[in-house]
Amino acid sequence: MKYVSSRALVALFFLCTLAGTCRGAMDYDQLFRQSSDLMAQGDLDGALTLLKQVPAPAPGEDAGPFVSSRMQAARILASQEETDKALAACQEVLRLFPDNSEARNFVAALKDQLRPKWHTVLADTLRFLPALGRGAMMTLLLVLCTMLVSPLGGLLIALGRISTLRPVSGLCWFIIWFFRGTPLLLQLFFIYYGLPSLGITLSPMTAAVIGLGLNYSAYLGEIIRGAIQSIDHGQMEAAKAIGMSYGQAMRRVIIPQTYKRLMPPVGNEFIALIKDTALVSTIAMVELMRAADQLFNTYFNITALVLAAMIYLVLTTIFTFIFEKIEYRAGIYEQR
Amino acid sequence: MNSASQPLLTLENITKRFKDLTAVNGINLEVSPGEKLVIIGPSGSGKSTLLRSINLLEEIDEGTIRFEGREVGYVMRHGKRHADRPQAISALRAEIGMVFQHFHLFPHMTVLGNVMEGPLTVQCKPADEARSIADGMLAKVGLSDKRDVFPATLSGGQKQRVAIARALAMHPKMMLFDEPTSALDPELVGEVFDAIHTLADEGMTMIIVTHHMGFARELADRVIFMDGGNFLAEGTPEELFSKGQDNERIRSFLNRLL
Ligand SMILES: Nc1ncnc2c1ncn2[C@@H]1O[C@H](COP(=O)(O)OP(=O)(O)O)[C@@H](O)[C@H]1O
Ligand SMILES: [Mg+2]
Repeated sequence: MKYVSSRALVALFFLCTLAGTCRGAMDYDQLFRQSSDLMAQGDLDGALTLLKQVPAPAPGEDAGPFVSSRMQAARILASQEETDKALAACQEVLRLFPDNSEARNFVAALKDQLRPKWHTVLADTLRFLPALGRGAMMTLLLVLCTMLVSPLGGLLIALGRISTLRPVSGLCWFIIWFFRGTPLLLQLFFIYYGLPSLGITLSPMTAAVIGLGLNYSAYLGEIIRGAIQSIDHGQMEAAKAIGMSYGQAMRRVIIPQTYKRLMPPVGNEFIALIKDTALVSTIAMVELMRAADQLFNTYFNITALVLAAMIYLVLTTIFTFIFEKIEYRAGIYEQR
Repeated sequence: MNSASQPLLTLENITKRFKDLTAVNGINLEVSPGEKLVIIGPSGSGKSTLLRSINLLEEIDEGTIRFEGREVGYVMRHGKRHADRPQAISALRAEIGMVFQHFHLFPHMTVLGNVMEGPLTVQCKPADEARSIADGMLAKVGLSDKRDVFPATLSGGQKQRVAIARALAMHPKMMLFDEPTSALDPELVGEVFDAIHTLADEGMTMIIVTHHMGFARELADRVIFMDGGNFLAEGTPEELFSKGQDNERIRSFLNRLL
């Protein structure tokens, strides 16, 4: 490989020398060499002046040196941020050779630079949004499923914890202890990668809902238990005194009074949940984080990550707003 | 049934201990239908514990409770006392109304919702019927105009009257009042006593724990003085409150109140 390319270089050198000696009128070869030297010394203006000396070719004459000189000049000008002058140099070439692809590409690149930054960002945004939108829908679906499952699981765990039946309260204590005491990432790995070895294979979505559901049930269980136990003991007695069973008293009297107290901590948990769904990207589920990561790795474009951050912010803001509304509604009876 | 002579409630040797402390110490009591019984006594003498034991909110350690002649609350299994089935316990509580010192209204329900909750949830009555029962009880305690507000907006006296209406909505055969006016400002005591009086005039059987001697004198068929988990003295209001009361403990307690 090395051998071939060095041979090609040698051949090119001979060709150039040949062309130079055949010309006579002007030694372009030397001119280019001089301008290169000037550039290397940092004298860009000097190099430009030299390059400008190459005249436009007469009809039938070799256009090579002319095109090379103008394109070299355009590159120097572009590096000095003299975009207009660089464009003019390219236009000189294009006037004589409208199909010259080097000049055309360079013009396109220059125009791209001239275009405002937001234009590129907008173009990227439009390009990335469909994939990110699909990811966001998966994230939202995951969040909603977990929000549906975990309060029910949490309530069961809470009721189990305060149960007087020792095996029940012991089991619920164990669930809380385990799921709060190990990383969510580990739990997800175990459910998705570990369970198949026990003969249980789950889709990423099912594994994700089970993992997040169990984890958040454990957290909500402790929160709900605290809220239930914070309700004045007299409420349970008054409910029992009119003949209610324990279940009726819980359902009609105690639990409805916990809603307002539950909303701030549960809202907190659910905001954390929206962000925790990003962990699910590790078990082959393409949600928002994974979609952004894929775009970033394909295009090396930070815009994808910025957009993902913005979508997460939109989601958390919307949910924060909803939770505040619910909290207000839940406590309306306390107003005098 | 020979209901005329039979007591509505009979307590035999009721004993309740909290660890080393005997809160109620072998109490015997008979309450006839329509009787108004007032229990007085210093704080910590076991009055609340006794009322709560009757309503099965406390599980007693010894003794027997009979309501309308049948033994309630406990069953013997393998020679040991056990609390009866939850359904049976709830059924008894539904027949005995209880009013607490601190009202314990359900704050998340309107006044009407509080009063209709028993008929609706416990007796499974249709909403219309439960509502009309509740409206009747609210009219009886004079709070029809407050039916749609939440308890947080009520005065203490109004709250206690709602609590009375809530208990009455179950059509109980007996009412237990545990210091119903102790948490109230003095000017609000009267309206609650009036409501209890109305109930008494209708022939309701009731046990009232109170520190208001005037009210006890006016209402009671019988007054019991309780101290240290025991009944120290028992009699008509006149007998117990008479200046010639010879028990030093009762005399000093009454003197402090009057
Ligand atoms: N749940 C309980 N646990 C422990 N001790 C209690 C409990 N309830 C009441 N006691 C005690 O039992 C005694 C009687 O209490 P209580 O019946 O409330 O008296 P009263 O109503 O006459 O003021 C008091 O010494 C009280 O401290
Ligand atoms: Mg008391």
